[in-house]
Amino acid sequence: MENTIHVERAILKLTQDELSKKIGVSRQTINSIEANRYVPSTVLALKLSEVFGKPVNDFFTLSLDD
Amino acid sequence: MNLQKIQECERTKLEQLSRFQLPNTFKKVGYTLTFSAFIGLIILKTVEGEPEWMRPILRYLMIIGILIVSLSKEKVEDEMIKDLRSKSYALAFIMGVVYLVLLPVIGYFIDYLRTSDTVLKEANFFEGLLSMLFVQIVFFEVLKRNR
Repeated sequence: MENTIHVERAILKLTQDELSKKIGVSRQTINSIEANRYVPSTVLALKLSEVFGKPVNDFFTLSLDD
Repeated sequence: MNLQKIQECERTKLEQLSRFQLPNTFKKVGYTLTFSAFIGLIILKTVEGEPEWMRPILRYLMIIGILIVSLSKEKVEDEMIKDLRSKSYALAFIMGVVYLVLLPVIGYFIDYLRTSDTVLKEANFFEGLLSMLFVQIVFFEVLKRNR
């Protein structure tokens, strides 16, 4: 799975730390999600969707190996 | 109580049990207990005429200390940490079983090479539990560092 969270974060001018505090995770977790090392749960994806004001599909896309 | 209620009760209890964790402050308590017991065991090696009850008590304290560390929450206990923790428990379980199976065999071959008198000794529970808990903590820290 690929994502454009860093782009969405840049649009809102949020740092990884600020975003992590908004959704109640650690900064390292945001970093891992952005680097595609960790696929978040549906709950976390929906929390991100709420912060970005966009549907989950807009910033998460399936890759060929999924 | 019908079958559905029993299943629901079992599911809830197991969920509660699997979520059991100690607060983050217990981590320091666990490490202190472990190191104190470890130092105590080293001191016992140098002391002559130690009381018989001392060694098992220190071993139990060491295992309890590591268990407390293992069960303590991180400062930010999010879903990724829970995922890494589960992976570390799975790895520790497999490594622990492999260790317990291989240790007597390795011991047997070492004895065979040194002397002709060989006896297949079983690994004791202290070594088994300690290795499992130690491997879990090490794997968890490594996975956490590389996340």
